Amino acid sequence: MRSRADRAEAQVGSPSPEPARIEAAGTLHGASRRVAWLLVVGGLVGFAAAVTLLIEKIALLEDPTYVPSCSINPILSCGSVMSTEQAEVFGFPNPIIGVAGFAIVTTVGVALVAGARLQRWFWWGLQAGTTFGVVFIHWLMFQSLYRIDALCPYCMVVWAVTIPLFWYTTLHNATAEHLRVTPRMRPIVARAAAYHGVVITGWFLVIAALITQRFWDYWSTLLT
Amino acid sequence: MSKNVKISLVMVLAAAAALLVAANVAGDDSPTASTGDERSDRLVRPDSQRLSEASDGKVTFVEFLDFECEACGAAYPAIEELRDQYGDEITFVVRHFPLHGNSEEAAKAAEAAAEQGKFEEMYDLLFQNQAQWSHSEESKKDVFFDYAEQLGLDMDEFRTTYDDPATLEKIRRDKEDGQAVGVTGTPTFFLNGDKVEVSSFAELLAQIDDALAS
Repeated sequence: MRSRADRAEAQVGSPSPEPARIEAAGTLHGASRRVAWLLVVGGLVGFAAAVTLLIEKIALLEDPTYVPSCSINPILSCGSVMSTEQAEVFGFPNPIIGVAGFAIVTTVGVALVAGARLQRWFWWGLQAGTTFGVVFIHWLMFQSLYRIDALCPYCMVVWAVTIPLFWYTTLHNATAEHLRVTPRMRPIVARAAAYHGVVITGWFLVIAALITQRFWDYWSTLLT
Repeated sequence: MSKNVKISLVMVLAAAAALLVAANVAGDDSPTASTGDERSDRLVRPDSQRLSEASDGKVTFVEFLDFECEACGAAYPAIEELRDQYGDEITFVVRHFPLHGNSEEAAKAAEAAAEQGKFEEMYDLLFQNQAQWSHSEESKKDVFFDYAEQLGLDMDEFRTTYDDPATLEKIRRDKEDGQAVGVTGTPTFFLNGDKVEVSSFAELLAQIDDALAS
């Protein structure tokens, strides 16, 4: 029986003790392989959602009466979300950011899976991008829940992938010391790396709780 | 199984349990969707606003709306088309279901205009100019008073009704009625007491035609 610290160390430095889910990753090990594949899968899912949103947005611009495929009811409604000014914060439709950003994320992931070794500053770029993404989607979440009062399913897919992309990129950058980690921070990083799943689960649960609470009246009608 | 996975699973299970408990508690005291007479009484009250009144009283179309909600604004042209097409064959009833920052204020403006027989005119103005006043943190009372002036209303009377607590009470009662009959968002439509669940305008027209023919 290894101590907790040992186990944390194992996840940080050497190959993960858990059986690797994907065998084909070649020279990558443990946490690096995890982040590589996460970038590929997360990037693709996010890309698909962003492209769909962009196509729906164009359809909506062509024909204002168009009802997007994800406008299911007053709460689950892309249409009401997409036609707000929050949907064009920077003066152009938000999904354009997603289409470009997730394409980059996917490409970086594929490069890593193919065995690329990237310079530190490249990782900083990825950190900057995912950090921007995670801040942005939380702002959008707030707008969606408390200002627009509707949820857009494709947008929620983007939320759901951006959080792990940010979290595991950060974790990787911290454990691989692409980011400067002070000695005092090291145990915290090790703890975070050991309990990475707890953090992400907690993060998702808080958001799920907020969504549940905000639209409680609606959800409760689905039960009865 | 690592501690990481174990703790995560426990968290998910705890959240699911909390949700179940909350759902049961809420289930007990949520307004029950009453049936029969009580329900139809709550769908349309004698003092509810009407855009038109059918002479034969056969078909009643009720819309629970929020003047600030975009989906309601998007439905507005369709409803206008419906009213063009059916006019006085159908009773169109408007109920308030305010959900946004200025929704109650807008509803108050509509009610205050109704006192002077200009409900429909205010309803049109609110929807046609929705983009100009919606989604704002601050009160748009001034904008609504401008509309009242445009409509040539007696402004003293308008102000009195607008600020009358009874007006707000009526709007909130509309919302309570809506919740009692199963409205959860806006716009929600009822055709002769049944919630309208259609995927297209054509389908809605077909349902109305059926109701008229029966």
